[in-house]
Order: sequence, then structure tokens, then C-alpha cells
Amino acid sequence: AEHNWRFANLYNRGTAFGEVYQNLADNINTMSNGRINVQMLYAGEGVGQTGILGSVKTGLIAMGAPFQSMHAGELPAGVVEVGLPGGTDDVGELSTLFHEKGWAPILKEAYGSQGLVWLDPYVQPPVYVITKDPITSVEDFKGLKIRAPGAYGKFLRNLGASPVSLSWSEIYTSLSTGVIDGSIGSNIIDHRDGNHVEVAKYMYPLPLAGAQVLPIVVNRNAWKKLSPDLQAIVEGATAIHAQEQMTKSILWESEALADMQAKGLKWSPEPSDADKVAWKEAGMGLLDEYAASDKYSKQLIDVLRKEQQ
Amino acid sequence: MIMTAIRRYCLGVHTVVAFVGNSVSYLMPVLACVVAFEVFSRYILDEPTIWAYDVSLFLFGYIAALGGAYAQQQRAHINVDILYNKVSARTKGIFNLFSFALAMFFVVIICKMSIGKFEEALEFNYRRQSEWAPQTHHYWLMITVACVLLILQLSSDWINSFHQAITGKPLLLAPSQESQETQEGNP
Amino acid sequence: MIGIEALTGILLVCIIAAFALGAPVGLALGGIAMGIGYITWGDALFNVIPTTLESTHFSFILLAIPLYIYMGQLLTRSGIGDAMFNASQMLIGRIRGSLAISVIVVCSMIGAMVGIIGAGIMTSGSIALRPMLERGYDKRLALGVIMAGGGLGILIPPSIPMIMFASSTQNSVGRMFIGALVPALITIVLLIAYVVISCKLNPKRAPLDAVPDVLPTAKEKLLTARDGLLSLLLIVAVLGSIIMGIATPTESGAIGVVGAIVLAILFKRFKPRMVQKAGMQAALLVSVALWIIVGASVFSNFHLLMGVQNMVAGFTQDLGLPPIVIIMLFQLIMLLLGFIIDEFIIVLICAPIFTPIAVALGYDPIWFGILMILNIEIAVQTPPYGFALFYLKGIAPPDVTMLDIYKSILPFVLLKLCVLITVMMFPELVTWLPDLLMD
Ligand code: NA
Ligand code: NA
Repeated sequence: AEHNWRFANLYNRGTAFGEVYQNLADNINTMSNGRINVQMLYAGEGVGQTGILGSVKTGLIAMGAPFQSMHAGELPAGVVEVGLPGGTDDVGELSTLFHEKGWAPILKEAYGSQGLVWLDPYVQPPVYVITKDPITSVEDFKGLKIRAPGAYGKFLRNLGASPVSLSWSEIYTSLSTGVIDGSIGSNIIDHRDGNHVEVAKYMYPLPLAGAQVLPIVVNRNAWKKLSPDLQAIVEGATAIHAQEQMTKSILWESEALADMQAKGLKWSPEPSDADKVAWKEAGMGLLDEYAASDKYSKQLIDVLRKEQQ
Repeated sequence: MIMTAIRRYCLGVHTVVAFVGNSVSYLMPVLACVVAFEVFSRYILDEPTIWAYDVSLFLFGYIAALGGAYAQQQRAHINVDILYNKVSARTKGIFNLFSFALAMFFVVIICKMSIGKFEEALEFNYRRQSEWAPQTHHYWLMITVACVLLILQLSSDWINSFHQAITGKPLLLAPSQESQETQEGNP
Repeated sequence: MIGIEALTGILLVCIIAAFALGAPVGLALGGIAMGIGYITWGDALFNVIPTTLESTHFSFILLAIPLYIYMGQLLTRSGIGDAMFNASQMLIGRIRGSLAISVIVVCSMIGAMVGIIGAGIMTSGSIALRPMLERGYDKRLALGVIMAGGGLGILIPPSIPMIMFASSTQNSVGRMFIGALVPALITIVLLIAYVVISCKLNPKRAPLDAVPDVLPTAKEKLLTARDGLLSLLLIVAVLGSIIMGIATPTESGAIGVVGAIVLAILFKRFKPRMVQKAGMQAALLVSVALWIIVGASVFSNFHLLMGVQNMVAGFTQDLGLPPIVIIMLFQLIMLLLGFIIDEFIIVLICAPIFTPIAVALGYDPIWFGILMILNIEIAVQTPPYGFALFYLKGIAPPDVTMLDIYKSILPFVLLKLCVLITVMMFPELVTWLPDLLMD
């Protein structure tokens, strides 16, 4: 091949999401007639979870599918991009926000300032919190110890909960022994894969982040080496990938939910209108803080604010 | 004259590395206290801290990295000594020339990369991804220092081995005799 | 471009050469990866270093290593470890190898606290190696017992590799933890049986304690019992803090440290100098362990970026063999990978590739996962490249050579191989208990 690329994602080999990224890699291979050969790297295969962005920046790997919360300290605007807690879950609304209201150019510049090419983003299912005891009203969050990193932690703190920092592999044991009362997962499927339902049975109906928007990033030098037609092919494959993420993740989310319900998962009771307002306010309370973190975050949040008025 | 200078260099390196190695040991109880405090604060006070997680990981990294040079001085780094133990002092010296050069090559690269990361961390204000979000530049600076110390110690050991390869005798006393003051040895 | 098979061969040759020259293991592994990587890839590969450093030093799971080592050092230096063994020996009575037996029991309890191999071996080694050597136990027996007992850390729950296996193959962690209990018990019983029988056959391996001139008085016995009981209480407290949800397995190490200091004060053996000296020794051991992990991770990350996982996946395609032969082949591949790759990476690569095949052949995934854990326990203690070997060397007195360690493992590897084969032949050993308790 003219171009040998390595492409890292966060999912384990053999998982359903892993396969979607594999399809993106395969699509680039076939659509370019083998001129670009993309080798897939799954979780832990050479690049750590928190290392994907940095590794694409330096060119260790050409392409990456990072999860922005893992890079909150490196590229704060990414946390706004993925969706601050309390954000919308309307895919149409999100698409307008990115493509018409001006998020896309801001993000292109933010990623570009660190040597990254930002390709069209894709949408993944929302973040939910699972708890050992049912949550009957937002008040019940007061004092609960919930494993929730970064922005999600701040959000839950606004509701009176006590966010706890734990590594992913200690969630199961910690839920089972009661070190924590609940945990967020990056989506429902993540909760299923972590077996959390064995040790915590209640899912809160309001998602922490409506829909998550994730980018595919490419190393700038690797990108520049591509001829314009190859660049168009990679962009085309990314668009197909975004479509596949959308359709499949809806399917898998419902499958994961069914799996967990078969094991005894229950939804906490439907939140009252007051609860929903409190939930929304806890999210809005973060906007100022995030706008202050860097200039790109501010630009994104300014657009969001204009939207709301 | 040159020999005296070299010997001074080696002794100087020895002193600095031993000092840092000893200082790091005080971080051990601090680390245990930080983690124990988090448990206390979460379980008894019902208030998990936002800082203990990152502080304990930073302390862990500092202990792990900065102790490297001192471990080299004490010859505590693990090696497979099956053939090594069977050869003469002179051959050991020759073996060491290769081993220490290989080790130095690795550590020089780490050093170079962490200087780069340090500058990048300053430029882009890199932080941990946690809620507390402390800055990370000091970690990369520390790795750079740890690598410089390890390179100095390896260079001193390399010189020593070179001397041993040629004359069959070490330039300085054996590390165990040299450092009776500081070495604690395994129980 | 060089093929992955050829590259793996070259790397293996380089490792053996560097090990033969007596190079420091971790630094040599890193140096080899960077050297070969520079030739095959160029200096862009050096960028693997920052991400590897971050994922090693900022790993909360590995934080168990310093905490447990420090606890072990405090227990030894305050004499609490000795008290623990004195009491348990008094309990077992005056039989040959009684100390080794109590070491196995204590190792099992430590195994129930920690979830990774390193913390298990280095804690058990800190506490138990010196007492055995001082009482004239055969060096190989003493080393082998620590290695085999410390390795139980990943077989007795909680266990990080089991959590990794369960999540990457979408299986129940709870089933796996419970499924491991019977194989763990078999392993412990076999280890104890081996100690008893081999000491009977070769009495020199474990000298009986000399009969004291004056028999201990009732009061002395009572004191031993009290000290021992208090020390065992520490282990109970640490275990309890995990079970009662006070601390995570990693954090419980810090509870152990605080508990050890409190006990030392109770025993009137507390000196600030002891805390500092234990800290010195622990820091040295932590640094040694972590520089190995950093070097080995740089090495394996390079190997993975070059595509070693695809080589493993390639092996398994179109086998056309009888099912049980395929299972045996998988075990063999994992054992061979253990020559060059560490335990987490083996789970990471092999679990998702092998498990679906095993399940398609009609085998129970939990059973297959436990086989994988048993296999890893063997892989980490087989020369030349085995983390358990390196950790043990780190904790052992200077006059213990790597050759002593290599020789010490043989009977214990055979024992664990027996367990592996037994479990392979009788899957019920794994599936019975979870079926009973969870369905
Ligand atoms: Na364990
Ligand atoms: Na091995």
C-alpha cells in the first residue's frame, strides 16, 4: 500500500462496537483500492486509553477514535463537544448545531491547533447512571457515592452526590461490596459489558448526557500526504461509519438493555417535572465553568447560549 | 590526574543519587496516608476527596521513577544472572559495557521524549482528566530528572565496568562496600 | 517490510542475548524494543514512550504494589510477621514443613486481598521468605512456595485478570469469581500435600525446629498465641475492609499499612526509624518492579503496534481439529506467548480471540476463562520471561540467584499443570459451584 495507517479505538477485540471501527478500516482499504491500508488496534493494543489523542498528535498512529472525556485535560473543548451533562439527545438538533450553527469550524480549529485533522463526528448512545438502590427523586442523590469522572462528577456534585474516582476494573467489586452506591458507564452497553447489573439493579431514567458526539481524528502529516482523491475517500468512509454507528448503536443499546433486564435490571421511577428541572439546572451550572476553561470551549458555549435565547 | 577526575565524577554521582534515593523513601508513608485518608474521608465522613486519587497516582509515579537510579546504584534491578555469575570479573565488566549501554540508550530516549512532553504540557496547559484536574507538567519534569539521574548512574557504572574489563578490578569499591552507610539490604 | 513472525523471532533472540549478558531486565526490554523499532519503523516509534509511561504510572490498579509491599515490609521489620508464623506453627504442631504450610495459608489469605500477581508475590515474599531461610529450609522449597502461593493472587478472588476476561468476553464476573474457588482450593491442597510429602521423603529440606532446652511455659505459649492472634486480626481487618465495602482491594493495602503501624505500637516495637527503613526498602522494590513494567510495556506496545495480535488470530483460523485438541492447542499457544508477553496482554489478546471459538465448540466460557487464568499462573513463572520470577528475584536476599529461582519452580509448575489438566478434564470443577449458588 502507498499509505500504511494504524487506527486505534477504545473497544475490545470481538465487541460489537469494535467491529464498526473495523468496518471503517476495511472500507478505507476497499474504497481506496488498497492504496491506503488501515491496521486496526483494539483496546490496549499498543496505545493506552488516555493515549489515543496524544499518539495521533505525534504520528505514532495515523488515525484514532478517542473518547473526549479521557482527554479532558489535553483538549478541554472536546468535553463540550461530546456533550455536557444535561445536553440534548435530539440527533437532528445536534446535526444543525455542528453543521449550520458553527460548531464544526470551531472544533476543526481546536483540534487543528494541536496538529490533528477533525473528521466528521458520529453519535453514540447516552450516558446513564446505575445505582444499587432505586432513586425516587433527585433528592435521593444527596450523599450517594457515585463513580463519575470529570464533567459527570461535577454534574452529580451539583445534585448533592459525592463523586468518587475509581478505575474501571474496580467498579464491579466496589459496587458489590458497597464502596460506591452507583456508577456511570460510557453508555448502556458499557454497563452490560461490565456486568454491573449483577451488583446494582437500578438505572436512572434521565441520561447524564443526551447523545454523545465523538470525532475521528487523523494525524495532520499523514493527512497531508494523501492526494485529494484519497482524502475524499477517507471522508466518505467516515460518513458511512457515522451512519453505521447511528443505526447499530440504537439496536445494540436496546439489546444491552434487554440483556440487563433479563438479569433483573429495573428503571428507577419516572422523575417528576421538578426533578427534570433540577437535572437541567445542574447541567446549566457547568456552562460558565467550562466556558472559562479555554477559548475554544468558550466559542462553543457561546453558540449554545445563543441557541437557547 | 584524569583518573582522579573520573573517580570524583563517579563519587559525586553516587552521592547525589543516594541522596535522592533516600529522600524518595519518605514519600512511601505519605502515599499510604493519602490513600488511607481517602478511605477515612469517604467511609467515615461521607465526603470522598477530589484530590486523593490524583495525588496518590502522582506519588506512585514519583517513587517508581525517581528510585530507578538508586536501584541501579544498589544493583537492585533484576537481571538473569545465570551465565553472568559463572564468568570472571573481567568478562563481567565486558558484559556490563553492553548491558549498561543498552539501558542508557533506552533511558536517553525516555529523557528526550519527556522533555518534549514537559514543553508541550506547559504550552497547552495539560491537566489530568479528573474533576480536580491538576496540571501534569511537573510529572514530565520529574521523569526527565529521574532519567538524568539514571543516565548519570549508568555512565558512572559504565566507566567502572570499563576499568574492570581492562584491569580486572573495579575503579571504585564494590557497591556493597561503597554504600554500607545507605544500603539496607534485603531482610 | 519485515513480517511479524520474523520480527517476533528477532525480538526473542535479542531478549535471550540480553538476559544472558545479565542486563537489567526492564531497561534491556525497553532498549531492545527501541533499537529494533528504530530500524524497522524509525524514530516516530519513540512516541510510544509517553503514552506507556502514563498508562503505567497512572494506573490505580498497580497502586496496590507499593501499598502492599510497604505493608509487608512493616510487618517484617516490626516482627509481626514472625508472630503470625510462630502462632500458626504452634497451631499446626511440630511436623516437618509446618512453616511452609503456614506460609501457604498466609499466601492464600493475601491472595484474597490482592488482585494482581506482583502484589501477591512481593507481599508474601517480604513476610515469609526470611523466616523460612533462617530456619534452614531448603532454598528452592522456600522460593517455590512463595512463588506458587503468591501467584494465587489472581486465582483467588478478587482478581483483575478475571475482571478483564469477563468484560472482554461479556461474561459474569461473579460466576468467574465463584468458579475459581474450587480450582483454588485444589491448588492450595496440592501445594500443602507436596510440602508434606517432599519433606517426609527428604527431611533435610525442612529441618524441624530444635526442641528448646526449657519447654515453653504456659505463659509463653499464651503470649505467642496472643501476638499471633493480633497479627492474624490484621489480615482479617484488611480482608474485612474489602468485604464490608470500606475500601477497594487496591486501597485496602493502605489499611494494611495503618494497621501494621498500629500493631507495632501495641507490640511496643514501633520506632520512627523502622517506618523510614521499611519505606526505603519498599521504595526500592517499587522502583525495581515499575521499571520492569515500564520496559516490558514499551516492549509489548511496540510488538502490538507491529501486529503480534494478528499473528495469534491467524493461528486459530481453519483448524479442523477435534474440539478438545483445539482447547489444548489454545493452552499451548498461551504458554508459548508467556515466553515473551506479560499476563495482562495475554488475556487482552487471547480472551476475545479464543473464547468465541471455545464457546462455538460447546464449551462453557467461564470454564475456559478459568483455564486461561490457571495457564497464566504458569506462564508468569516459566523462564526466561516471567514477571513472577522477576518479582521474586527482587524480594529475595542477594545470595539467591536467578538460577536458584528457575530451579525452584519446577515441581510447582508441574503441580499447577496438574491442576490445569484436571480442570480441563472435569469442567464441573469450575461450573458446579456457580451453578449451585447463582441459578
Ligand atoms: Na485475589
Ligand atoms: Na514465561
